Amino acid sequence: MKPKTKKFLRIFLIILVVEAIISIGLKYQLRIGFNEQGKFVIQNVKTPKTIQEQIHEEFQSDKIIKIAGRFPINWNVVRVILVVDLLLILLAVLVRRKIRLVPSKLQIISEQFYSFFRELVSETIGEEKVYFTPYVFTIFIFILTCNLIGLIPIPGNMEPTRNLNVPLGMGIMALITVHYSALRAKGIKAYLKDYAEPLFFMAPLNIIGELAKGISISFRLFGNILGGAIIILVISNLTRFILFPIGLSLFFGLFIGTVQAFVFTMLVLSYTAVAIK
Amino acid sequence: MGSEIIRAAALLGAGICMGFGAIGPGVGEGFAAGKACEGIARSPENAGLLTRTMLVGQAVSESTGIYSLVIALLLIFAV
Repeated sequence: MKPKTKKFLRIFLIILVVEAIISIGLKYQLRIGFNEQGKFVIQNVKTPKTIQEQIHEEFQSDKIIKIAGRFPINWNVVRVILVVDLLLILLAVLVRRKIRLVPSKLQIISEQFYSFFRELVSETIGEEKVYFTPYVFTIFIFILTCNLIGLIPIPGNMEPTRNLNVPLGMGIMALITVHYSALRAKGIKAYLKDYAEPLFFMAPLNIIGELAKGISISFRLFGNILGGAIIILVISNLTRFILFPIGLSLFFGLFIGTVQAFVFTMLVLSYTAVAIK
Repeated sequence: MGSEIIRAAALLGAGICMGFGAIGPGVGEGFAAGKACEGIARSPENAGLLTRTMLVGQAVSESTGIYSLVIALLLIFAV
């Protein structure tokens, strides 16, 4: 171990011991590190919030404002979504501005991603239906950016996918896309015949099954992201916000976020493939 | 008194729900990972495809666990 690291660890240990001594049996909670909004603080909290209240805040982080006095929007979520959209538009502009035959680095990366998804679509749905690629790629890159933006420790910054409305909206969009493309590929007669599949009185069950697909993909994304956030909060509470659990944050943000974005797109693709064929 | 009993029952239910709901996904994901390991050992050149399929399958089989997590959260915060 380097001497610098040793010195740092010693100072850290002293802070830990002092904090533990101060907080035993008192109603004070010395907080050194990142608070639940991601801000770096050193403060003595007199009446700390219980863990129940904190999780409640995390669970229902709604702040409704009304645009033009009429249309209510959830500002805490819409704010972050606008930032995500801005990032994506910026990326698109940067990539589109200089398209050359000899590509730049950014263009190589974007083309790699795009051709990966193009191959995926043509493997799953079929070579003649590659026009699904922009939709699928948009879903993937939007969910990925939404999941990764929670890693930035700024107060008030959270994953928009932590709110159920965002995944549910994308699930409804996916359902509409699947059914519209099925209707267009098969024609209305064959499409309606699919609902009476084994026998005609099974139609209600088939309809419920179709609706359950949308609910299942949106709840999967929502539950994974919210569960990760709550686990990070509980563990930071156990360590009294001294050790901000970076490893957990990376696991839930990077790994689970990427996997869930990929799973969402793969499931939309396979639903489309099943509905078309 | 009555509301406290309901609250206690809801918390107990949340714990039971999470505990039993985690059994199925655990077994299923472990099974999927084991089978993927066997497949990779048999044909290492298909490792990328197998890993991709394994991750998607695991995430799908995880969804029952996620449902029980949502139910547990509802029991804790909504009851």
